[in-house]
Amino acid sequence: MNRRLLLAFLPAAAGLFALPRPGRAAVDLARATAFIEATGSELVGAINDPALDLPARRERVAAVLRQAIDIEGTGRFILGRHVRQATPAELAEYNRLFDDIIVRNLSARFGDFRGVRFSLGRSQQRTEEDALVTTVIERPNTAPFVLDWRVAEIGGRPRVVDVIAEGTSLRLTTRSEYAAVLQRGGGRMEVLLEAMRNQIALLAARESRS
Amino acid sequence: MVPKRRRDGYCAVMFRFRPATLRAPVLALVLLAAACATPPPADDPEAVAEFRETNDPFEPANRAMFEIHEIADRFVLQPIAEAYRDLLPQPVRDGIRNTLGNLRAPVILANDLLQGNITRARITLGRFMVNSTLGLAGMLDVSRDWGVPGHSEDFGQTLAVWGVGEGFYMFLPLLGPSSPRDLLGQGVDIAMNPLTWLGQGAAVDAAGWVRLGLTVVDTREALIEPIEQVRATSLDPYSTLRSAYRQRRAFEIRNRETPAARVVAPAGVTGFGQGVTAPAGPDARPNPAAAPSR
Repeated sequence: MNRRLLLAFLPAAAGLFALPRPGRAAVDLARATAFIEATGSELVGAINDPALDLPARRERVAAVLRQAIDIEGTGRFILGRHVRQATPAELAEYNRLFDDIIVRNLSARFGDFRGVRFSLGRSQQRTEEDALVTTVIERPNTAPFVLDWRVAEIGGRPRVVDVIAEGTSLRLTTRSEYAAVLQRGGGRMEVLLEAMRNQIALLAARESRS
Repeated sequence: MVPKRRRDGYCAVMFRFRPATLRAPVLALVLLAAACATPPPADDPEAVAEFRETNDPFEPANRAMFEIHEIADRFVLQPIAEAYRDLLPQPVRDGIRNTLGNLRAPVILANDLLQGNITRARITLGRFMVNSTLGLAGMLDVSRDWGVPGHSEDFGQTLAVWGVGEGFYMFLPLLGPSSPRDLLGQGVDIAMNPLTWLGQGAAVDAAGWVRLGLTVVDTREALIEPIEQVRATSLDPYSTLRSAYRQRRAFEIRNRETPAARVVAPAGVTGFGQGVTAPAGPDARPNPAAAPSR
């Protein structure tokens, strides 16, 4: 192939590489911000609702979180390279457990946030696929803290893929955690799944106690 | 005994057996070998890459230290911190935290300058002067009320800005997560602190110990909820803390703290967090069903 043809093809090739990966479109900053605002308002509404008791609040919060967070994609990210080593049955079980854990964890945290208010900070386009939306969370009798939400466009609508608190990313921390459990279990998924089941049992026990 | 040599491990133990004279060093080396993590087999490149990235060659020793620390923490440090929160009203705790933070200002100023950050150095100096005078020897953070919040710097961050790598992960009892760079940084900070050298005599010594004690308790009090959270929700608190510590340090080094988060110029001496935010109010409590011990 002579040089001229190659040079002609180069911009086209570059264009191909610039296309977003399948499943993830470029996220619009305004859309991401509006999405976080809407989700935040729903969560605050659920948490502060005087008519609901604690279990009902948790249910509402769980429903909002399931809708807003890309649980399956995040679960895959957290599993990292072990995705390839797991059997389909193990993966299905992992997805199920991960969904349960993440919703319980987050709704347990947020459930105690009575009287919470949040305000939007600035938003920025982190990469072509992610936007970072900053929110400031205020609770009574506590200093306000900053929560950053990473939003990506999954399946045509914006969804949360990560929560970052003062520089610490939740999905990076969780990935490190699960990798350590797998490494200490000799790379077997069953060890991780067992640990996750225990975790869910503990969380459920705490919920029923409080 | 056969000479042992591991070529791909981070801590290769190589010795030759000589009867009688080398029992103690041999024992030390054997213990060292036991404290070293086993690297994954070389035919699994992804696992090797992950091992390198984790950069925790002394993981067994670190985990042992972590267990020791957890016991000391649950039975001694955490009850003290909780009693501190229960007994002292929030304004008093605020005042203590502000004072301790103000006392750290010379070190923060020095590190700002060493990093070449004149803007932040000016802020630190201004805050120190205003808070020490109008703020009643640092008890009131007047500067923050006027819109100039504080920030955290230490020599570990300065070394990072100068290009020194983090080094392997270390977990030290009481000090918490650390690394060779950060540990050296803490040492240099103590040497740089004028309060270390100022004055002599029993009263000054006592004041120094009081300051250290209050710093530790104050930092622990700020971390009651985060640590409870980690203990309750993590499958492996050791690695959660390791990851969180590293991310947090990277964040501090980048100097990206947002002004909305009210960082009080920290008195942090422990690795758990050099920057702590304002104390929790009287209603702040860890989750009522406390984390069951595991």
